[in-house]
Amino acid sequence: MIEWLSAGLLIVGAFFFFAGTVGLLRFPDVYSRLHALAKADNLGLGCVLLALAIQADSLAAALKLLLIWPLVLAASAGIGFAIARRARALGIQPWQKEDAR
Amino acid sequence: MSFAFDLLLALALLWSGWRTLTTPRLDQAIVLFIAFGLLMALGWARLSAPDIGLAEAAIGAGLTGALLLDAYGALRQRTEQP
Amino acid sequence: MSTLALGVALFLLANLVVALVAAARGPTPADRMLTALLFGSTGTAVMVLLAASGGVAPLIDVALVLALLAAIGGIAFAKRAWHAEGNDHD
Repeated sequence: MIEWLSAGLLIVGAFFFFAGTVGLLRFPDVYSRLHALAKADNLGLGCVLLALAIQADSLAAALKLLLIWPLVLAASAGIGFAIARRARALGIQPWQKEDAR
Repeated sequence: MSFAFDLLLALALLWSGWRTLTTPRLDQAIVLFIAFGLLMALGWARLSAPDIGLAEAAIGAGLTGALLLDAYGALRQRTEQP
Repeated sequence: MSTLALGVALFLLANLVVALVAAARGPTPADRMLTALLFGSTGTAVMVLLAASGGVAPLIDVALVLALLAAIGGIAFAKRAWHAEGNDHD
């Protein structure tokens, strides 16, 4: 049971990482790329960490694995805020649909 | 599967190292250097040397990358204000 | 189980390589830096998966350090290195 749950979570995490990479490569401007990167990737990392934590040997190892996730969440929130504010201060306009026509 | 992982890692290391050395633009070289350091840390992890991987991740990818970015910013500022 | 972990690690490494090739010819400096941040989070996941598949527990510490220092790189880029796009826009 635990094995299957862990395998499913690993595959879901891999899918979210794939979505984040595709978003980074295909989205039109800095803000939307930041959006793809900061959310999809961290969700994928959370799934992978949870999958490995529920089959860890000891409670300490599982807690250490799960400790990585809040750290990465806080870090990526800070980076996303800093980069988006800098991009706005530099005058980069968000992508509009009219530009694509 | 393990062999495929090692082969892909080795190819990525060689390619990113080559691009880091030959690219003409500084900011691109710095980003490629950070990526190279991260891949190198993965390589040390694959060689089951976690202590060297730790040093590579902390010094190679993290601190040197941040210092190089800072130096690049200072350089840009100096050249823009004559 | 360790085979599946290694398979997922291989898939994530393939993702990283694709993003690296795109970063080498990326359009603007910010996008290249975003690729470096992608390397931070995906590299953390690959490191944790390697720790699980190989049974090398200290690699989890390496993953923690990777996650922390990718953040430092990103903040350094946003605060210090990213000035006006200048001559190298587009």
